[in-house]
Amino acid sequence: MKPTNSMSIHVIGRIACIVALILIVMIPLSICLKFDIFPPMKNFLGGFFQAVMIYLPISIAEFLTFVPILGSGAYLAFITGNLTNLKIPCAAVAMENAQVKPATDEGEVIAILAVASSSIMTIIIILIGMLLIIPLSPLLNHVYLRPAFDNVLPALFGALGAYFFMKQWKLAISPLACSILFAFVIINFTGIQFTSIQGALIPVLGLISVLAGLAFYKKGLITGDDMK
Amino acid sequence: MNYLDIANSSFVFMVCGIVIAAVLIICCVFLAWAWRRGLELGMSREVMVRTIKTSMTFSIAPSIPIIIALTAMVGVLGIPFPWLRLSIIGSFQYELMTAQIGATSMGISTLGGSGYTAQVFSNSMWIMSLGIIWGMLFSILFLKRFSSGLINAQKKDSTRIAIIITALYFGMLSVFVGPPVVSGGIQLYTLAVSALLMVTITQLTRRNESAGDYAFTLSMVGGMVFAALWANLI
Repeated sequence: MKPTNSMSIHVIGRIACIVALILIVMIPLSICLKFDIFPPMKNFLGGFFQAVMIYLPISIAEFLTFVPILGSGAYLAFITGNLTNLKIPCAAVAMENAQVKPATDEGEVIAILAVASSSIMTIIIILIGMLLIIPLSPLLNHVYLRPAFDNVLPALFGALGAYFFMKQWKLAISPLACSILFAFVIINFTGIQFTSIQGALIPVLGLISVLAGLAFYKKGLITGDDMK
Repeated sequence: MNYLDIANSSFVFMVCGIVIAAVLIICCVFLAWAWRRGLELGMSREVMVRTIKTSMTFSIAPSIPIIIALTAMVGVLGIPFPWLRLSIIGSFQYELMTAQIGATSMGISTLGGSGYTAQVFSNSMWIMSLGIIWGMLFSILFLKRFSSGLINAQKKDSTRIAIIITALYFGMLSVFVGPPVVSGGIQLYTLAVSALLMVTITQLTRRNESAGDYAFTLSMVGGMVFAALWANLI
């Protein structure tokens, strides 16, 4: 990317993140000021540090994992959230359809277009859901429809997994095998709910996947042609 | 005053609405920048329009469970604050967990239970708001250097960087494939059906690029329809 353009998206991204951070703090602040309901500082700090201890390490790992995929699109993705279930798959599919690679100028453009469009759509859908929450609630929780929504993630990752496995099975096989092994051990022997540690497993499997991929590359099992 | 009267007050609706509107504007700014940058790079308008359309379509189905999460959260945290948290930044699991931390650090064991006063609600709000700011904070501090470094490294050894990025993506994807395979049942069948649909649609639309754009959405929705049918009919 040319320095001037690179500069401008990073300036926009930084301003956007600063504005979002200020707005996020303004919400509890304005509500506490309006209704005079500030919590005692001691209790707040106790809870805050507890949350930091859980989420700071996960956030560092997420940052290192997601930025290479999204490039500058990560500014917006971190502001709008829902990364693993929406923004990352959406950007990856968009780059695949447009036949561009991450960490290239074109890849970054497509990733930003995808993350921004996906965010707008999600905000609109949740707005409609919020406005119609009373009539929608029984419908979405209806016994006939609920299984469909409960299984969105297997449906989403089944399609994504099949496509990328077909395309690059040499890279996909190590993380898939490890994921199945980890899930088997965690579900059968630890009593830990798998969903509660999914966030922490993403960087672990990411690292295993990268190390395996680079080892295959070094041994000549994966070549430049495989990655085209 | 009951905390839910505050949580559902017009003031909280207004504040949350303003923030969501601001984020919507930020999305449009990014969209406009990417569009202009794409044209500058000589990318075709058609490809960019297709990206926008397919990304929007793709996002519909995964957004519905977020509404279900909203319906589950409004009983304990009111409507506007969960609406805000789920529209931007957050995710269902994170929000409820941090709200709970906010309650326990005030000595209250259950969200919305007895003793969950307006002050406890405000503590939950503060911790939900400040506990997950790290992605944005790191982006402000390190993203420019990190992504520029990646682009430069890509120019030196594009295969190596392509392997690292693709492998990272596969690592994330695999986390969601392992559990259904091990648990079996409806989750595994849904995964298998949507995978099978994806393979079939990809083969059928090999020569038609724009039809292939919707392959992921169709496979995902197909998997969800199967899950509903399986659970209710079989």
